[in-house]
Amino acid sequence: MSFVTDSPVHSSSSDDFAALLDAELEVGSSGSSHDEQDDEEEEVDDDNNDDDDDDLDNQRNKRCKTEKLEDVEEPQGSTSQGLIEENIEVSLKRDLCTHPGSFGQMCILCGQRLDDESGVTFGYIHKGLRLGNDEIVRLRSTDMRNLLRHKKLYLVLDLDHTLLNSTLLMHLTPEEEYLKAQSDSLLDVSKGSLFMLDFMHMMTKLRPFVHTFLKEASEMFEMYIYTMGDRPYALEMAKLVDPRREYFSGRVISRDDGTLKHQKGLDVILGQESAVVILDDTENAWMKHKDNLILMERYHFFASSCHQFGYNCKSLSQLKSDESETDGALSSVLKVLRQIHHIFFEELDSELSSRDVRQVLKTVRKEVLKGCKIVFSRVFPAKFQADSHLLWKMSEQLGATCSTETDSSVTHVVSTDAGTEKSRWAVKEKKFLVHPQWIEAANYLWQKQPEENFPVSQTKNQ
Amino acid sequence: MFFHIVLERNMQLHPRHFGRNLRENLVSKLMKDVEGTCSGRHGFVVAITGIENIGKGLIRDGTGFVTFPVKYQCVVFRPFKGEILEAAVTMVNKMGFFAEAGPVQIFVSNHLIPDDMEFQSGDMPNYTTSDGSVKIQKDSEVRLKIIGTRVDATEIFCIGTIKDDFLGVINDPTTA
Repeated sequence: MSFVTDSPVHSSSSDDFAALLDAELEVGSSGSSHDEQDDEEEEVDDDNNDDDDDDLDNQRNKRCKTEKLEDVEEPQGSTSQGLIEENIEVSLKRDLCTHPGSFGQMCILCGQRLDDESGVTFGYIHKGLRLGNDEIVRLRSTDMRNLLRHKKLYLVLDLDHTLLNSTLLMHLTPEEEYLKAQSDSLLDVSKGSLFMLDFMHMMTKLRPFVHTFLKEASEMFEMYIYTMGDRPYALEMAKLVDPRREYFSGRVISRDDGTLKHQKGLDVILGQESAVVILDDTENAWMKHKDNLILMERYHFFASSCHQFGYNCKSLSQLKSDESETDGALSSVLKVLRQIHHIFFEELDSELSSRDVRQVLKTVRKEVLKGCKIVFSRVFPAKFQADSHLLWKMSEQLGATCSTETDSSVTHVVSTDAGTEKSRWAVKEKKFLVHPQWIEAANYLWQKQPEENFPVSQTKNQ
Repeated sequence: MFFHIVLERNMQLHPRHFGRNLRENLVSKLMKDVEGTCSGRHGFVVAITGIENIGKGLIRDGTGFVTFPVKYQCVVFRPFKGEILEAAVTMVNKMGFFAEAGPVQIFVSNHLIPDDMEFQSGDMPNYTTSDGSVKIQKDSEVRLKIIGTRVDATEIFCIGTIKDDFLGVINDPTTA
């Protein structure tokens, strides 16, 4: 142990030293104007206290007060006038500061301590960062201009069941044990798709085509991850799909960063809503932004995932198979994204900043089943409000017209039973008779599917 | 700024450490407990340089622990408002950039970055002047002025500016 004998501070005065420094530095910047105010406040207090005394005392005090005020005003005539004016300017500037945001509860523009809770926290960018609403609006518009110059839009990606499927190790069925031996190395994740994460007690399977998808999409979109998992999970998954931090860098949002419970929102995204496309398998998470959403077919690789959603069928891992790489959900959605990007930048002729990607989505969707006229049979009860049914609305969004009665302009009869009157009419009139899944497939794959692939069977009744 | 000051702390020691090495145990426990911690008053304790005095130990009633008041000299780091610091940039984004000066996190908002520097996004986001002569990106060294500090139990947050004279990039990692 060495003793430093020329330490400038002695034991009992170390606290005093810190206080001394504080005092010195405070006085240097804004102390004096505040001190003046304090003096005046004290004088007022004295006056009030002395009200109980007799008039003579009051008069004396009043005289004292006026004398004091004169004293205070005098320095303004002397050489310290400049300093006081400067300090008043500084405190005025501070009062005029709009406090655009805060970091560690201090205003990022003037450094003043702020305790308000307005605005939105951006904890996913950096701990302690919070921005006010005006600042968010300003940032959104500058960023929009920047991005449009680079011909990019925003893409928000969900993780679970969209880009990957995770399961806890304890939920693996005996049929899935073979996967443990087949997992890919964590040292070079860009080549693998099945990863064992012992430290999280999890196994994760990336959806086929995900690496190509991210690479191609990153050229057209600035991408965000938005998951309902917690932050450590989100960051681990980001490391798996984006090991070089080139696609998402700091843009990983978890449920800890959202403003609403059980809901995702675009308020934590620093981009204009008119330029954001969302890819998610859960529609209900985006109640306020359904127009920006492209619904993805869920990726069920592990058996636990099927069980979670109540399906009794065997999962992909149990069947020892997987989604097609070139023909799967990610591949078809990439084509749609390319189409949307192309239309937004090449085919719309209004001003760039006034274009809306939601309009483009609606237009592209309406092309899918354009020209089809659909009648439903044994899909919903007769007394049901037909046009509020999910499939009816889905068909209309996809560009088809729906009707409750058959006539010669009908092109498709959608039925669950080939024995109904309308079904037999369809076969007789050589119209297409398809299962409702034909509409759902069109919704997920953004393409009219061959009608032969969705036959309707005769249900054995009576 | 760094300071070399004397602080005092009451150290509790378990009887298993008594014996010939009592003083060494006490000092190593002190170092483990205090180095790297932060206090509102003094800032970060960077290192203990010496022990000034160890007082008489008091046995606590009910447990066998003994409390020693220890006076020690240490180097502390505490940023002050108005101070000029050099820091290394850790993250650049559209809101500004984050920099680190040792254990202190500093945020410089784009309002306090000179107007002629514009944000360029990309895989290496940066702020660049219009003629490309000055660039602020990750791992650049910048000289900045602190305009606000806030000390937490474990961390110190600062707001900084580079909009004044003689502030800005010192060292460009690409040319270095």
